[in-house]
Amino acid sequence: MSYIGSHIFDRELKKGSAELLILSLVEDQPRHGYDIGNLIEQRSEGALKFNVASLYPLLYRLEKRGWIQGRWVEKAGQRRRRYYRLTAEGKKILAAQRSSWREFVEAVNRITGIEHA
Amino acid sequence: MPDWEEEIRRRLVRLRLAPTREAEIIEELAQHLDDRYEESLRGGATEDEARQVVLLELTESDLLARDLCRVECPVWQEPATPEARRSTNMLGDFWQDLHYGLRMLAKNPGFTIVAVVALALGIGANSAIFSVVNTVLLRPLPYKDPDRLMMVWEDDAKGGFPRDTPAAANYIDWRDQNQVFEGMAAIANESFNMTGAGEPERIDGRRVSANLFSLLGVEPLMGRAFTPEEDQPGSNRVVIMSHGLWQLRFGSETKIIGSSLTLNGESFAVVGVMPPHFQFPSRDDELWVPIAFSSQEATNRGRHYLQVIARTKPGVTVEQAQAEMNTIAARLQQQYPDSNTELGATVTPLHEHVVGDIKPALLVLWGAVGFVLLVACANVANLLLARAAVRQKEIAVRVALGASRPRLIRQFLTESMLLAVLGGIVGLLLSLWGVNLLKAFIPENISQAQAVAIDGRALSFTILVSLLTGLVFGLAPATQTSNFNLNETLKEGGRDSATGSRGHRIRGLLVITEVAVSLVLLIGAGLLINSFLRLLNVDPGFRADKLLTMRVVLPELKYPDQTRRTAFYTELVSRIETLPGVQSAAVTNWIPLVLQGDSQGISIEGRPDPGPGKNPIVVTRVVSPHYFNTMGIQLLRGRQFGEQDRVDAPRVVVVSQEMARRFWSGEDPLGKRIKTGGVNSPSPWMEIVGVAKDVRQVKLDADPKPQMYVPYAQPVFFQPSHLVVRTDVEPRSLAASVRRTVWGIDKDQPVSNISTMEDVLSESLARQRFSMLLLGIFAAVALVLAAVGIYGVMSYSVAQRTHEIGIRMALGAQASDVLKLAIGGGLKLVTIGIVIGLVAAYVLTRVMSSLLFGVTATDPLTFIGVSVSLVIVALMACFVPARRATKVDPLIALRYE
Repeated sequence: MSYIGSHIFDRELKKGSAELLILSLVEDQPRHGYDIGNLIEQRSEGALKFNVASLYPLLYRLEKRGWIQGRWVEKAGQRRRRYYRLTAEGKKILAAQRSSWREFVEAVNRITGIEHA
Repeated sequence: MPDWEEEIRRRLVRLRLAPTREAEIIEELAQHLDDRYEESLRGGATEDEARQVVLLELTESDLLARDLCRVECPVWQEPATPEARRSTNMLGDFWQDLHYGLRMLAKNPGFTIVAVVALALGIGANSAIFSVVNTVLLRPLPYKDPDRLMMVWEDDAKGGFPRDTPAAANYIDWRDQNQVFEGMAAIANESFNMTGAGEPERIDGRRVSANLFSLLGVEPLMGRAFTPEEDQPGSNRVVIMSHGLWQLRFGSETKIIGSSLTLNGESFAVVGVMPPHFQFPSRDDELWVPIAFSSQEATNRGRHYLQVIARTKPGVTVEQAQAEMNTIAARLQQQYPDSNTELGATVTPLHEHVVGDIKPALLVLWGAVGFVLLVACANVANLLLARAAVRQKEIAVRVALGASRPRLIRQFLTESMLLAVLGGIVGLLLSLWGVNLLKAFIPENISQAQAVAIDGRALSFTILVSLLTGLVFGLAPATQTSNFNLNETLKEGGRDSATGSRGHRIRGLLVITEVAVSLVLLIGAGLLINSFLRLLNVDPGFRADKLLTMRVVLPELKYPDQTRRTAFYTELVSRIETLPGVQSAAVTNWIPLVLQGDSQGISIEGRPDPGPGKNPIVVTRVVSPHYFNTMGIQLLRGRQFGEQDRVDAPRVVVVSQEMARRFWSGEDPLGKRIKTGGVNSPSPWMEIVGVAKDVRQVKLDADPKPQMYVPYAQPVFFQPSHLVVRTDVEPRSLAASVRRTVWGIDKDQPVSNISTMEDVLSESLARQRFSMLLLGIFAAVALVLAAVGIYGVMSYSVAQRTHEIGIRMALGAQASDVLKLAIGGGLKLVTIGIVIGLVAAYVLTRVMSSLLFGVTATDPLTFIGVSVSLVIVALMACFVPARRATKVDPLIALRYE
């Protein structure tokens, strides 16, 4: 998929998948917003990119739904940062969304024949 | 480092967030921008370049505000979106939904056909019945200001006739003394032997007051109405004819006005032709002549034969008119105690008189089709729910892609509306056909029955019902599917497609509704069928098979006295009895089941006179010697009439069982004497020579009244007019030869109303048959729909539980256990539905008690029998899917995991 430039991604598609991306990233350890944005960009090798305007409303929405939880953390010699961690509820959603996404991608692939091309 | 906080605050200010929350967001976002700034510097950018990079993050600041607001604002308000764009979107969405909906329906032809057929049945039945209700009950009568038209009756409740036809002298007093009516008109039955051109024909018509047509507010199509001068004896030889008669018999000849007709042997000048569709008072009437009371008639208070119609003055209510008529009737009671004692007057709106009998039946049927539609809705809702379950994945993806809830509801409603509209169109076609079918079933005596059609009002009703239907059956699945929790859906979605407990509940509720509503309909139909069967089993008191009947009314001009009339009928009967295939023949004034009337007050010898107007009333039938044999009326005691009962012989009478029971209970009526009128009336005493079995003269569902038979050769008050012929062969096959025999005696004598007694019997049950058949059909439709609904839900539930069933079977459950499990679930719903249905039926069937005969509205046998039948049907609907469950292979089922 790497040959697809980020600008080609449909905004809706991105929005739909973004929840899954964020939930995945905070699954193992709590992360702050900047960290999450960076990781998405790095791991997608630049194909996916979130800016302030798109990332934070999404974080707040997930938090409001109770799927992730944000907490201000102060570390010695640093400014306090807001870290997000996955809630129990979020874990279930993540599992469900993963399988749903997998099915979706497989279905799309089966139709478009990408895997077998 | 630049101060980002100010930049951000500027962008958030219009969101009007709570200050602490705003501070938090600003802090977090500013930090992010700081990080980005520093990172850029570390990457070797200049301060200016780094600043540019950071600002890029905020380029979509509109988006930031909007998305933040979606999450943070207490009430969602879309900032700065022009109205115009929104409405374009909605229209665009609508077209998209429509297009998508059509594609979905085309993709599932099976589903679409079942849903559309179910809806079409429901909607079609509704619009067909509505068109009848509309025409018969709702549409105003086709007269000027029909609300002010009233029927006025004599109230002889004591004599058993609360709405009796008044005598002429009473009518004239009413007309002259009242202050509440603008006009009053009298109508008397008359039939005419029309001779001259072609076969003699018997034509029904009326003698009417000259002002009748202006009272109704209807002008003749051609010619004129009667003048008051023509309403006088001697100058009344004028006639107005119906449009139908003018077309059929006179080929729409315009020169008909002024020509003359020979009616009952006299010449009448044609003065007018009525417009098409004018039928008053009944649709059989083809000729109207002035009533022109003779002086004897105008003073007679004993013969009750008029129908009286009146138009109230503007602003006068029915109650005021009734009060006025009460006053007049009371005055007449005092003035004429001999005839008017206990005689009142009753005012009823004409509309009530016209629709009276059929109204309860129509209202019940209207309710019933509403129920059918409800079952159809429940069914389609069920189908939609099941399909929505299958479409969970599609919905999940759409929600994941950002489809909002209202947007989903809109989509689902568009689809259900589409179904409803398709159902409505097919239903409308069905109802066009249904209305024609209904017309054949509507009893003939309902005026306007033939005018029933799908008009603008019925069309609007259909459209309204269709849209409402779409909303009703679409709303439940729409909210249910769009309400789903993505979380829960996807979680359960791990195993096959499922909709969660909420879906189960709704489907269960729908099955319960279907069962309950169908049960109410079935019980209603059961009660009517039960009544009808009892009616068919009522012993009419005569043998209806192989009996030919017809009307042969002798014109008074040609047969002015009884000697001549008797001679004609004696000759006729003896000639007919020689025809091959004829067993016997007789004449009477009225055959059973066609007329309520020809009754007389009587006195019994040796009993005190009850006083004027209080003499017991008995139905009188004037008959020829072989009448009892011919009709198959059993004679219980004594003898029937013979040739010896001539005009110069002692007067004799045969009484009915009921009459004997009522007046000579515990005594032997034979040899007792009675006379018509009061004890001191000049009429001669008649000796009772026989007792005949009761005959239902008026209706099958009315208890027999006391009646007496008198020989037609002795002086009688009523004239014979009906011929009855008992045959060895199919009665109709003799109609032509009997008619020829009549013409062999008098070539100008018309014969009419040729029918078999079986047809007369069947016609008398037309109203009951109409209600029974229709309610039966509706109940059957509801039952089929309910069975399909139960089947659908059960199949679905079994399919869903394949995994569970597999585990149970792997753990050793037998096929019978699985069968029990599967059927048990369905049976639980059915049982709840039946309990609710029984309660509802107990309450609702009371409205139809006036339609029942021989059973109560809460007849326990019907209630139980119908419930059991419904359970059996429901069991069968459960059984098929349950059997499928027993065929589940545990290995395959478990592999689903």
